[in-house]
Amino acid sequence: MRDLFFLGFLAGLFLLALKRPFLFVLVYSYIDIVSPQRLTYILLNSIPISAIAFLCAFGGWLVADDKRDSRFSWRQVLMVMLLGWCAYTTVTADFPIDAAHKWSWVWKSLIFAIFLPLTLRTRLRIEALILTMILCASAIIVTGGVKTVLSGGGYGELNLMVDNNSGLYEGSTISTVAIAIIPLLFWLAKYGTIFRPDWKVRFYALALAGACLLIPIGTQTRTGLLCIILLGTLVIWRSQKRFAIGGAIALLAVITIPFLPATFTQRMGTIKNYQGDQSASTRVQVWKWTWDYVKTHPAGGGFDAYRSNRFTYYMTEMQGKGDDARMVRSKITEAGRAYHSAYFEVLGEQGYPGFLMWALIHILSLLTTHRIYRRYRGLGHDPDKAWISPLAAALQQGHLVYLLGAAFIGVAYQPFIFMLVALQIGLATYLARISQQDGSDKMFAPAAPASAHKGRVMA
Amino acid sequence: MIDSFSILLSHGLLLVAFWRLLARPDLDDEAATPAIHADAADPAAQARERTIFPDA
Repeated sequence: MRDLFFLGFLAGLFLLALKRPFLFVLVYSYIDIVSPQRLTYILLNSIPISAIAFLCAFGGWLVADDKRDSRFSWRQVLMVMLLGWCAYTTVTADFPIDAAHKWSWVWKSLIFAIFLPLTLRTRLRIEALILTMILCASAIIVTGGVKTVLSGGGYGELNLMVDNNSGLYEGSTISTVAIAIIPLLFWLAKYGTIFRPDWKVRFYALALAGACLLIPIGTQTRTGLLCIILLGTLVIWRSQKRFAIGGAIALLAVITIPFLPATFTQRMGTIKNYQGDQSASTRVQVWKWTWDYVKTHPAGGGFDAYRSNRFTYYMTEMQGKGDDARMVRSKITEAGRAYHSAYFEVLGEQGYPGFLMWALIHILSLLTTHRIYRRYRGLGHDPDKAWISPLAAALQQGHLVYLLGAAFIGVAYQPFIFMLVALQIGLATYLARISQQDGSDKMFAPAAPASAHKGRVMA
Repeated sequence: MIDSFSILLSHGLLLVAFWRLLARPDLDDEAATPAIHADAADPAAQARERTIFPDA
């Protein structure tokens, strides 16, 4: 039954997209985020829907879309370079078979991220992509939120529709993404034009934001809690009513804590005592190993290079209770442990060059978006520009939250983060074009006079 | 049950969003932007835009 539903739904989307080819881009984003193939049993698994959607999206853009004002940004150039570098390290990988397996999805993620900004030519397209990303993530978040309210969840126990613990269906990853989309959700509820802001939209946005906050509690991931704290700090920092909003967040936290499951508060307590926690201790050891590895392999070991790691360390933990409590020091030997951090993942797999490219993509995105935020701040009275600065702030906050979560999970090549970067590129190139048309702003304009560049412009 | 609710809600909203996008000329051409603000004084026009089928 579920197979038929998804098949019918996808067929409907493809049919609608035939009328407006940009919708194929959204269909591909949907397939990338929700992975309906994982939610079904037979039908969709036998059809390469992802490849079909991408070919339709690219074909639609190539044939039907207006490309006069298409722009290519430096970040897209960096992504092309990263793609080439990843291909090189895959060929020379320590573990060629495993590397080829990871390459089989990473290249798609990168190609789509390079292509996506070319299609984001209008404000409505930017909004439509944000809405699609949020609604797609909500398919997982709503079920996680409701189950958390009903059962309290548990680390590795909250059932997010599939047993396959990968992609966005992994606990820490969905926790990070759920918190990262909250600012965008509120932006949509205020400036959206597809679903105009009214009481129903605001109510749904509030309910979904509540479900987003419940995900780290339901999955009991420490990463998610850190993301909530960072988002709270960023919101207070940017807010003009710092004390009122800070007070409201503090009040909400105080009210919520007594309702949190005991297992959640116990697990969060281990954040400050990582030496007594094998999961956290192993991460630190893997990071040390990666740091040493890249010193001898500056070009990286290709995808899944972590498989060669092996290390021994001592863990100190308290055993027993009351008078029987004693400190026990045990010897732990681990091998082939994953990076558990996007930063060390890229460093170990792509070496210094790949890490530099990857980091530059994110740093440039954050800086450019911050520039947009500052440039358009205070234009709330202008109905055509009021949406820009809040969107830049929301994108930046979401990006920062993701980058914090990425410090503890290997999500460097997740399609979701590349979509977030593509959105920022799309916003920057869109504004550069608008500014050029207006002739009012030279923020993104190149040094050459406007008449000299009728073709593509770097933003 | 909960899974089905979540899937139906998110996918239903996606379908409505796609349907509404079909009727928006400014999806492809910024110059064709509908009068988002011009209709502010016309409640009937606002009500039309709020419907799932704005072309109907």
